Amino acid sequence: MPGAEAVLPALAQAALLVLLGPLVSGVIQKLKARLQCRAGASVAQPYRDLAKLLRKGTVQSDTASAFYRAIPPLVLAAVVCAAAMVPVVVLPAAGGFTLGDAILLVGLLALARFLTALGALDAGGAFGGMGASREMTVAPLVEPVLLLVVFSVATAAGTTDLGLIAARRASDPAVWHSPDLLALAAMLVLLLAETGRIPVDNPDTHLELTMIHEGMLLEQSGPGLAAMALASHTKQLVMMAVVGALFFPIGLAPRPEPLLLVPAALAFLGKTAVLALFVGLVESSYAKLRFFRLPQFLGMGFLCAFLALALRVL
Amino acid sequence: MIGSQSLLSWTFACYGAGAVACLLLRPARRLSVLAGHLGILAGAVLGAALALRVLLRPSAPVEAELPQLLPFVRMSLRLDPLSAFFLLVICLVGAAAAIYGPAYLASHGGAKGGSVRGTVQTVALALFVASMALLVCAADVFSFLFFWEAMTLASWALVVSETDDGEGTRAGLLYVVMAHAGTALLLVAFLVLAERAQAFDFAALRAAGRCLDDSTRTVLFFLALAGFGGKAGVVPLHVWLPRAHPAAPSHVSALMSGVMLKVAIYGIVRFGFDLLAPAAGPLPPAWGWTVLALGTASAVLGILYALQQHDLKRLLAFSSVENVGIILMGLGLAMRLARTGSALSGLATLALAGALLHAANHAAFKGLLFLGAGSVLSRTHERSMERLGGLARRMPWTAWLFLLGAAAIAALPPLNGFVSEWMTFQALLLGGVRLGGSPGLAAAFAASMLALTGGLAAACFVKAFGVTFLGRPRSAHTEKATESPLSMRLGMGLLAAVCLAVGLFPGGVVRLLDGPVRVLIAGPEPSRALTVRGPLVLSSGSAPIGSSISVTGSAALLLAIFAVGAVVFAWPRAAGRRLAPTWTCGVSPQSRFDYTATAFAKPLRLVFAALYRPRRELVRGEGSTTYFLTGLRYAGEVVDLAETVLYARVKHAVATLSRGVRARSTGRIHGYIGYVLLALLATLLLYGRS
Repeated sequence: MPGAEAVLPALAQAALLVLLGPLVSGVIQKLKARLQCRAGASVAQPYRDLAKLLRKGTVQSDTASAFYRAIPPLVLAAVVCAAAMVPVVVLPAAGGFTLGDAILLVGLLALARFLTALGALDAGGAFGGMGASREMTVAPLVEPVLLLVVFSVATAAGTTDLGLIAARRASDPAVWHSPDLLALAAMLVLLLAETGRIPVDNPDTHLELTMIHEGMLLEQSGPGLAAMALASHTKQLVMMAVVGALFFPIGLAPRPEPLLLVPAALAFLGKTAVLALFVGLVESSYAKLRFFRLPQFLGMGFLCAFLALALRVL
Repeated sequence: MIGSQSLLSWTFACYGAGAVACLLLRPARRLSVLAGHLGILAGAVLGAALALRVLLRPSAPVEAELPQLLPFVRMSLRLDPLSAFFLLVICLVGAAAAIYGPAYLASHGGAKGGSVRGTVQTVALALFVASMALLVCAADVFSFLFFWEAMTLASWALVVSETDDGEGTRAGLLYVVMAHAGTALLLVAFLVLAERAQAFDFAALRAAGRCLDDSTRTVLFFLALAGFGGKAGVVPLHVWLPRAHPAAPSHVSALMSGVMLKVAIYGIVRFGFDLLAPAAGPLPPAWGWTVLALGTASAVLGILYALQQHDLKRLLAFSSVENVGIILMGLGLAMRLARTGSALSGLATLALAGALLHAANHAAFKGLLFLGAGSVLSRTHERSMERLGGLARRMPWTAWLFLLGAAAIAALPPLNGFVSEWMTFQALLLGGVRLGGSPGLAAAFAASMLALTGGLAAACFVKAFGVTFLGRPRSAHTEKATESPLSMRLGMGLLAAVCLAVGLFPGGVVRLLDGPVRVLIAGPEPSRALTVRGPLVLSSGSAPIGSSISVTGSAALLLAIFAVGAVVFAWPRAAGRRLAPTWTCGVSPQSRFDYTATAFAKPLRLVFAALYRPRRELVRGEGSTTYFLTGLRYAGEVVDLAETVLYARVKHAVATLSRGVRARSTGRIHGYIGYVLLALLATLLLYGRS
């Protein structure tokens, strides 16, 4: 196969994101617990949860359609596929075969969201509908921000391919301009929204008045719930990796060689730790915003991202 | 191997034969409808074959003379690659509608409609499809306007014939008034050009168009843009569209939304890039910017209004406004970038290819969605989503085909909508960077609005599919619904296959765009510009500028991961799977607990309240206190801003003016003589001195 040497690193990196996703969630949980003066669960708790869910049986809503069972694996597949678009430790070979760019990544994440919302509506009941409705209200406000951030960085590189953007920025450290600061601010707003964190959503709650993402998963159980949980852990890490690729492509290995991969992996862990710290600190120090205040918060992100793009273009 | 010339005549002979057979067999109702649709199907298949031949084998355009209807005009057809591309789109949806139609008319119209209605609708359908196909092939002013008018009238007949209540008639009236206002503008544009050319055929018009001065050229283009834009449903000329399209039988709605709008797009393309193009140098920049601005406004407003509709077919009609907006965004950018030098010509190709591909894609998925909505309508006799629900268990085929269309229209990979939106995104972004300054900013703004549109479209179609097909049925009809007959599913399946094929093998489809783009702009061909890295990878340019995606590759990856996941989850476990009612806080679940369409769209209605200006009425029952309600009545609606702001004011002004005229029309003869004298005096004062 002609593109195998380019596809294999992408697959390996996607696998890395899937494997490390729960760990990042565990670290954030631990951090939050420590900030609240609790001991907290071990950082490996998300893995244990997944293992437990995988062993369990499934209770399915009696009104759900035949498609319902296919939704969790499809959502997971879409997120993992999106993960394959992000350079995590290795830069892609120049001019080689690429699986996709940032727009495809946004498209695949939108596919995952679309299917999750349909799964919520499929089970019937008001909670699922509420979650789906809220998620699909937040999504149109969030997706353009991600695209605009990508575009504002892409204008300098002339491509929306995350690998090529990262390669360009890594080769020339002096490409930081004022628009990038605005874009980074928008990206951080986005990171909180896309990972379902306070102040946009609260991952710890099952209170119907506040939840968004959890509301859509209420009727999922057993292995299906495990798949959905793994998908959202992975998505969180994918978003962090996107921040890394767009703004801090430091230490990425130009070729998949062991000697280069070790520092690259360390750099990736460092970047992820910083972002996890940011998420944990924000979650511990802010309250969740009222749902109808969210457009203002996300609108701020949109404005920053648009201004970043406008400054780049002008 | 038959020649292209005879294939062309056979195509239209089939449509004619279908209509005639339908009329002759009128006493046998079923047979007559079937014969008519068979004729349409045969015509569509032959037309598609002809169009593919012209598109794939670059040769001289196919030309034909039509029989002389009137003594002073010659009517002729000419099939160049641009016409062939649109002919292919028409024939594709036409074929699906012809397969779908007989069963739909039998199950839906058969209940109360007599034999006359079925026959009339079939004949009108044949005329409608044939006139659209002839329109895109027309090579002179007279035949263009003749078939334009035939298309309008045939579709009008289909709009008013479906229901007996006043709604269809009112929608038809609005449609026919708006359509003829547009035709009047087109007539002016055509006649001015024909007067310059001293001939009616397009070749002479093209030559005359080359020698126009810039201001005339621009005025003529804007006349044509307004005329075609009204038909295409461009905001704010779209008000007829969400009324007329849903009123027709569903397979006709599919044709009106999926194809007739594209015929108007064909008109804009033909005028803007071909007939009115200057001999050399770029098109006037004002054209591109106007089209881009109109497209952006249509896309955002169209999808915002679509979100708030509860009538499934009306929702789809509003979403057509959105998609026409996306097509116009690409066209506008292409107009701005075309022929401005070699650095930008690749981007013009990208933008134009994206727009044309989106036109074809929209025909496929909107056709599919309207056929799906028709399938629901024919089984449940319900158009309001608030009374549907739970149909995925009752009509699985319709449900999954509709879901495919919904995912495609929401621009989700790996389907066709994503491919064309990706191309438009790339063109807007790279074009914005290359143009720089305020033009670049406009392109960047359009890109951000396209991103917003994509997100809203996903929300809209989660609602459309989720509320209609998932959850529990909300009415007795819905509860008893059964799957549609095979022929209806086949019609939908054909369009669904196109959605999948274009998404998975974009490289092959891009080849079909080479011809049309070559006709319109001198630049690199789409297949060269877009498939730099092999047929399965779509690129927006060669490295270092440009990016590429492999939808095929990611679909394969998606499928592989899904298969692994499915095996892991389906692995037998000690505790198996069981069914249980959905948890509703201890109350036994009923359909009233499910989220309705109104409830689903409520958060977005509040977020965009400034644009919607929602009206809400809540009436408590007699003798209610704060805590105990004896009854509650809720009414809410979102009205189209164009109607309240623009049309209401125009209507008010016209009414005031006519009241004023009436007050001064006393009926006494010397009063009128006085008016004539005054008018004469004024005319002499103004113009009499020279």
